[in-house]
Amino acid sequence: MKLVSFFNSEFLSINVKKFLIYLSAFVILSLYFILTIFILPSEFLMTEQLVPEPSFTAILSETNIALGDSFRLDIVSVNNGDYADIHIVSVAFPDLTRIDDIVKIATYDFTLSPSYIYVDDEIGSKYSGGVETTLAQYPSIEAMSRPLKSDVPTHFDLVVTPQELGLFHIYVKSIGIPHTSDLSHYPYSGILDHQNEYVSVYSVIVNP
Amino acid sequence: MIIDTMTILTSKSSETFLKTKSEIIFLIGSILTSLGILLVTVGGSWDITNHLLSKPETFFSPPHALMYFGVTVTLIGVVLSFVGWKNLQKFKNSYFLSLKIKLIGIGLLTGAGPFDFIWHSYFGLDGLLSPPHFTLITGMFLCSVGGMIGISRYLKFHNSKSISKYLLILAVIPVWLSASGIISSLSLPFSSTDFFQFNPEPTFAFIVASLAYPFLISLSLFLIFRLSHYQFGLMSILGGLFLLIYSTTAIIPNFAMFDTVQFYSLNLIPFVIADVFLKLNRSKLSLFFTGGLIGSVFYMVYYPYVMYTYNEILLGKLVSPSLIYFVYFELIQTVLLYTLIPSIIMGILAVVISAKLTKKILIN
Repeated sequence: MKLVSFFNSEFLSINVKKFLIYLSAFVILSLYFILTIFILPSEFLMTEQLVPEPSFTAILSETNIALGDSFRLDIVSVNNGDYADIHIVSVAFPDLTRIDDIVKIATYDFTLSPSYIYVDDEIGSKYSGGVETTLAQYPSIEAMSRPLKSDVPTHFDLVVTPQELGLFHIYVKSIGIPHTSDLSHYPYSGILDHQNEYVSVYSVIVNP
Repeated sequence: MIIDTMTILTSKSSETFLKTKSEIIFLIGSILTSLGILLVTVGGSWDITNHLLSKPETFFSPPHALMYFGVTVTLIGVVLSFVGWKNLQKFKNSYFLSLKIKLIGIGLLTGAGPFDFIWHSYFGLDGLLSPPHFTLITGMFLCSVGGMIGISRYLKFHNSKSISKYLLILAVIPVWLSASGIISSLSLPFSSTDFFQFNPEPTFAFIVASLAYPFLISLSLFLIFRLSHYQFGLMSILGGLFLLIYSTTAIIPNFAMFDTVQFYSLNLIPFVIADVFLKLNRSKLSLFFTGGLIGSVFYMVYYPYVMYTYNEILLGKLVSPSLIYFVYFELIQTVLLYTLIPSIIMGILAVVISAKLTKKILIN
């Protein structure tokens, strides 16, 4: 009789133990799912996103040249904001249909090789980083650093030899990615280019 | 004359040594094969992160060094397996399957190197999915399967004690990682280059990721559970090791994601719970419940890169490295809504398949 009661109590105690283990496991699992699906995602989504703030200064060596002569465009760009995954400086030539020997790179210290964009190439627009696209109407050169920390200057100098008389225009802009704010591109306003993005315009008069 | 006698004696003693130790040599070969593939997969995952972060890269980058070292270790492992197998006195037929798979795997793995070089010469840099890369990953997968079969059969033939069963972790983790590589290359949009557009079609990628990842997690964990004769703790260690490898190669190198390591480490919980459940009860219901549970957490376990697959079809955002976790967490509830039921079903299916595979691995 005693033996039976002993086994019964042990059996009971094992079952209670098992029940408690199952119960704790279900509680922990529920906590896991609540934390990973609801609580932590909303916590992380509330953290502030990085805001890169690119800017540049561009200096023309001449604003009046004779046909056949060259001028320099020296660009120093910097990221004044948070760490940028990608820092881009784009220089476009709205009066040209091809770059050929007209534009040569003199100085370049971005981390990636320059990328040449030709007329009719598919390019990103509206600061979407390629999610929205359009076709290039004129050629351009993109300089890129991946990544770029704050306050590190980068240099992109060009030598241009126009082949036609009149005004020669150059569009310059800089974009930081992630593009999380209106401060993530420079300039902030002005003329819109073929990508529907703001550019600073530099002009040189080419005389006979 | 003396020299001739000594040569004969030496060759006879080395022959005797090979014959007596052939099975151990085969086991060491299998261990090295699995270890080599583990190193290659770790290096590969690290290399993908470096590419995403656009870290300045030369051929002599640390991930590349790790990968090439891994290939060398695998090659040594396969050669030892062959030498061991050739001198086997018993179980020769039983170990042949392991050797055969390893030989095909190492053929693909070593052939992928020159193939990749030729591909690069003609078409420049390739993405994640390209003919040479797929050859490489398939070779890795086959070598790891060969290593796993060799180790498992050795442990079975020698009725190994529970301590030796920890070798199964080394046997299964490379299979899990290299199979993950195959699924990733068929689902991640990292394969578009100037010459070729090998990015998988977004809907196809969505389906592949939603079905194959949960199946693979569950299959890997149930394989180790069954191969070890239901030893408690191995599922947790295997799952924990997988999380450790992913966090050190895919999360920690990206400083913007460093804080999310705490989120990722929580994924150890379902692995431990599955282990505990199966320790208490190995009924069909319990097996299916744990299979479904493990399958259902695939989106969390494959953080962060799995997000790219779902972003393609659900959000279409540009994801730069510092935005990875924002987009991941933005998607988490939607992805689970779409994938929860199929992932549970795939997790359960893996339980059934793992039983059949274990029989094939252990019974020859």
